[in-house]
Amino acid sequence: MKTINTRFGEVEYDPSHVLDFPEGLIGLDQLKHFLVMPNKKEGPLFWIQSVDDPAFAFVVTDPTGFFFDYLVVPDENDRQKLGIDENGTCFVLAIVSIAPTKEITLNLSGPILYAPETNKGLQVILEDARYSTRTPLPTIEKK
Amino acid sequence: MLVLTRKPGEGIIIGDNIIIKFIEMKSGGIRIGIDAPRETKIYRQEVYDRIRQENIEAAAGWDMTDLDTLSDKLADRTLKK
Repeated sequence: MKTINTRFGEVEYDPSHVLDFPEGLIGLDQLKHFLVMPNKKEGPLFWIQSVDDPAFAFVVTDPTGFFFDYLVVPDENDRQKLGIDENGTCFVLAIVSIAPTKEITLNLSGPILYAPETNKGLQVILEDARYSTRTPLPTIEKK
Repeated sequence: MLVLTRKPGEGIIIGDNIIIKFIEMKSGGIRIGIDAPRETKIYRQEVYDRIRQENIEAAAGWDMTDLDTLSDKLADRTLKK
């Protein structure tokens, strides 16, 4: 077991459970290893904590829980980086931000692909005008 | 920065396998074509910069009580459990 000091206090982790981002995050390519920190509260949000730089932790969520039709399919190149073939399982995660108004937004234009079989992750860029780096949650119509 | 002048139809070669062709000038923009190996990542710079900036900002500004409040708010609104 190893330990790092984070905003969560001292965190002990098993190096074999570390998520591997071979390319780091976009613009932050030094961040190649993350720990999944379960949230204390029930809910769809969880933290990923950088092992390489303890100052970096991100809140992520499964965007398909909020956006039914949001679909990101890894291309051959992405799959190669994730170490999976075309039948490999790949989940999509979105990084969550909080605005000063306490509203939350999802980065749907730079999602994270995650392959559980290899424990590898990859942030990709979607050049799709429908998706923003700060996509607000869809409003719920009250019945 | 290396600055070159090219005419429509002309190109430049970067390294051994990247070719950039200048296709035409059109309504204030320049259309370019890029031939590069599939594994070469090509993005519009402003899109890349926006995601980089968002990554940096997303890592800051959280405090733990925010997350608890949000988790409560969101727990009953995800479409699938």
